[in-house]
Amino acid sequence: MEQEVIKNLDVYAIQQYQQNRYPLLFIDYVEEVFPGKSAKGHKNFSFNEWFFPVHFADEPNVPGFVQIEVLTQLFLMTFLTLPGNKGKKTGFISIENARFRKKIIPGDRLDIQAELKSYRRGLAKGTSTGYINGEIACSADLVIAIPDILNEFIPTR
Amino acid sequence: MTNKEKYDQIFMDCFSVEKSMLNDKFVYQCIPLWDSVGHMNMVAGIEDTFNIMMDTDDIIEFSSYTKGMEILAKYKIEI
Repeated sequence: MEQEVIKNLDVYAIQQYQQNRYPLLFIDYVEEVFPGKSAKGHKNFSFNEWFFPVHFADEPNVPGFVQIEVLTQLFLMTFLTLPGNKGKKTGFISIENARFRKKIIPGDRLDIQAELKSYRRGLAKGTSTGYINGEIACSADLVIAIPDILNEFIPTR
Repeated sequence: MTNKEKYDQIFMDCFSVEKSMLNDKFVYQCIPLWDSVGHMNMVAGIEDTFNIMMDTDDIIEFSSYTKGMEILAKYKIEI
């Protein structure tokens, strides 16, 4: 059986799947998603980003928390594209093994590859890696929840 | 490892509690870690350990350490 794939999601289409919005929607384009498995996309960092003038005035670079958010937003696409999950709110459960290997500066394009290792009843576990010019810039292991779905399974007592 | 030891280990790992706390008073939300996320992690641990897939109704009824043993019996897992 041929594996389902969703291709070429622009920023409008991305917003149909996740609720992050400007100025906290970071990913620009999703090239492809294999729902329940993986996603590939990118983020362009121009000097127009709101954080560059203040982080730092004499040495603009992407803050670590923004890198984590970019990695996460691409990761979200691996499971918000599953049936019934489109447009659901999500929340962090854990961020582990976060690595920042390369300074990301104005003009850089971050290519992101996310892998979903498991998804069960609103709990997604996986990893997301960002590349600049083919070299790893940042990565993290992520656990993300969809609270609406988790709450369908809690004991009622 | 017996089924009981495996069962207890899941609770100890998921909720960071000592074995001595695992009794009929150990129920959903009795500690902060047994919230909706902890519940789903615990259920996933049980499914992986005992190689079963639990029904939605059973996950919702899994409201305590002791109730869980009754539920697992339905899956032919004696604790």
